[in-house]
Amino acid sequence: MAEPALDLVDVRYRYPTGPEALRGTTFSVAPGERVGLVGPNGAGKSTLLMAIAGFLSATGTIRVAGHTLTPATARDVRRHLGLVFQDADDQLFMPRVVDDVAFGPVTMGLELREVEVRVHEALAAVGLEGYEARAPYHLSVGEKRRAALATVLAMRPQVLALDEPSANLDPRGRRMLIGLLSSLPNTLLLVGHDLDLILEVCGRTVVMDAGRVVADGPSAAVLGDRKMLESHGLELPLALAARRGATA
Amino acid sequence: MHHVMLDHFAGGKTPVHRLDPAAKTVALLAIVLGIVLVGRDHFLPLVPAAAALAAYHLLGRTPLAYTLKRLLVVSPFAAAVIVLFPFLEPGRPVWTLTLWGATVEITREGLLRAGHLAAKFILCAWATVLLLATTRFQDVLQGLTRLRVPRALVVQLAFLYRYLWVLMDEGMRVRMAREARDGGLGPWPVRLRSHAGVVGVLFLRTYDRAERIYWAMAARGFDGTVHAPTTAHLHAKDWLFMVAVCAGAAAMVACDRIFHG
Repeated sequence: MAEPALDLVDVRYRYPTGPEALRGTTFSVAPGERVGLVGPNGAGKSTLLMAIAGFLSATGTIRVAGHTLTPATARDVRRHLGLVFQDADDQLFMPRVVDDVAFGPVTMGLELREVEVRVHEALAAVGLEGYEARAPYHLSVGEKRRAALATVLAMRPQVLALDEPSANLDPRGRRMLIGLLSSLPNTLLLVGHDLDLILEVCGRTVVMDAGRVVADGPSAAVLGDRKMLESHGLELPLALAARRGATA
Repeated sequence: MHHVMLDHFAGGKTPVHRLDPAAKTVALLAIVLGIVLVGRDHFLPLVPAAAALAAYHLLGRTPLAYTLKRLLVVSPFAAAVIVLFPFLEPGRPVWTLTLWGATVEITREGLLRAGHLAAKFILCAWATVLLLATTRFQDVLQGLTRLRVPRALVVQLAFLYRYLWVLMDEGMRVRMAREARDGGLGPWPVRLRSHAGVVGVLFLRTYDRAERIYWAMAARGFDGTVHAPTTAHLHAKDWLFMVAVCAGAAAMVACDRIFHG
């Protein structure tokens, strides 16, 4: 079996001022797999993302694309992990879209020509050609989200991890995002509450609650288990609820 | 929410908009330096500088109202100093006031000094407003980078410009949320306390955001140095503009020295 793109074994983290946010999270993601990570507020999903990127020093084993995360390897590991933050305003910090998309490749030390190729490719992938000279502040929420995705795509990471990618998007923007995410060849870890989006994009879903994995399996089965979902503060995705309503 | 950006008119297509930002920045520095170096109370040498700025203003089709508004915004800082001069400068009194037993004199020399300072200030501020009215802020930053201004400073300006509006939006939202509940009324001690609350909330949010932005940068390999590739270079017209303005400023100062001693 190929080496997992993302491998987590007994990951634990306690906030300095609070309770234990991660209490032994274990799961792995195969290369090219698209996995949804869901759970109620405070389940530890965002904390887990920050731990995978090495921003929080969690205990246990975290491996990204075969690289084990330690404080010394964190920078190396992040090259293989494209992290898209929930608030695109945090991610788009440069004066122009093109500078922002080029930030990762330039920091990686790539040649100017290669940087240009990657910027063009990333903007084309998210449908933002012609936005190069625009100021991020002037973009709509949907455009910002796509630009934020382009900033990590330009680094060609093996694993893409997105925190609440559909938050605040209108239906059209959301539909566009679903099409975009489904077309990407990268390994995907989608964190969020938009269960319908996860059902459409991800073949597999992991449910977290209180810092642990409580369910893991094919999305249709996991997200169709009304009893399990409700016991963890979640509910059936609308698509599945509607289907059941129609058959009942 | 929509803000009128600092460089609202910078998207124009006039010849002065198309000049290289680095050349324009050097020209701005030259003209400001020239104006500052003109001897005290000499008004005549400032006239060609004003004429040059007026020509640039017309070429850039910058709306007069926009310029005046910007000048008004920055003037309180200078005005606070300038209004004191008529009282402080010794000389021939033109007006004497007696207030609570104390005599205050406004002198002719003082008025002249204040007028001269105001003229210099207005010209310098005008030149700066014109640069921003005909150059997009990000291009100004790129120009500064090419002029070897320390990266840390340029990056700081870039962040300031990027997040100022985000912060203003946040401030407006917090204020609206507060006013939605108190209707902007209520006794003043309560309102003062809620003002302090707004400032506190904004401070905490800014702090949080700074941390998240840093993480977003680190997630993309940031190691403390900001690299900015740039391929721009000066064309003949940029050189011509820059040299002409520098020469003009030098001539202004030289004439001032020669004719006024």
